[in-house]
Amino acid sequence: MVGAIAQLFVFLLAGEALHRLSGLPVPGAVIGMVLLVIWLASVRGDRARLESVSSWLTAHLSVMFVPAAVGIMEEGGVFARFGTALVVATTVSTLLTIVVTALVMRWALARFAPTEAAE
Amino acid sequence: MNALGGLLSTQLFWLAVTLTVFAGADALSLRSRRHPLCHPVLLATPALIVLIRLSGVTYATYSGATSVLGFLLGPAVVGLAVPIHARLGLIRRLALPLFLALLAGSLTAIVSAVGILWLFGGPPDLLATIAPRATTTPVAMELARQLGGRPSLAAALVLGAGVIGAMVATPLLNALGVRDMRARGFAVGVSAHGFGAARAFQVSETAGAFASLGMALNAVATALIILLFAVLA
Repeated sequence: MVGAIAQLFVFLLAGEALHRLSGLPVPGAVIGMVLLVIWLASVRGDRARLESVSSWLTAHLSVMFVPAAVGIMEEGGVFARFGTALVVATTVSTLLTIVVTALVMRWALARFAPTEAAE
Repeated sequence: MNALGGLLSTQLFWLAVTLTVFAGADALSLRSRRHPLCHPVLLATPALIVLIRLSGVTYATYSGATSVLGFLLGPAVVGLAVPIHARLGLIRRLALPLFLALLAGSLTAIVSAVGILWLFGGPPDLLATIAPRATTTPVAMELARQLGGRPSLAAALVLGAGVIGAMVATPLLNALGVRDMRARGFAVGVSAHGFGAARAFQVSETAGAFASLGMALNAVATALIILLFAVLA
């Protein structure tokens, strides 16, 4: 179990190091995630512990960003000024993204993967 | 009372309060059968704000006291590698459709959110905050921070997008006539991250799997697209 936790921290550390060395605006955690996918795909091994640790962490993501969400108490000024704009932009963007992604995916599945069974 | 007053600025006190409030919010959310409007974060956040105000401590104190929770987001995001790896076979078989839909969806999310806010006269730090609004919360907060935006506001916008997406996805996709559960799930995951995935799992296992794939892939895609914009700008 400790080994699996260590593995997540080591990949996070490697991602953070690459982030700092490159100066790229990609979060170290995202780089670490990509590195871990590559590692899992290329190195064989028992994954049961890593699976249980990472699924426990992802199942509890919500509580981890509560302190950040509470930070909204400091943003009253922004909401007073740009509240409507933020709500409109977020709503339209969310709906439009669902529509565009679904339509492109449906078209591309029919065009490039017609033999895959639709579900 | 003075002997206990100092407790109000300790890690112990605010972790105990935050976890207890969240556990209560989670129980209510379960009772609502996980309705998006009763997401535990949406219930717990206002309750905690009231408690912090009553206690008289600043947000900086609260944030410092509970920083261990935010710290866990790093390894949790790295852990998303496991479900992606488990679906690598699927990703290879459907590489082109997934790539095209992801690219279109990710670009639409960034450009439409930033564009609309810009039309309303939003300043650069708000544009940086809303740009990653379709990604999962920890990634959005980190991207917003790196772009010079406001992480807390980014978290709030991501939660808002999640609630809207989870509530509207089913009627919207029915109206569009998209019946393929792969396309429906993927679209909701790309646009509404974890909320979308949770909703998709209620509809079908296939939709849920494609939604969590969409969420994970869009975290990477949004980071890369923003990187590309940053390099070109």
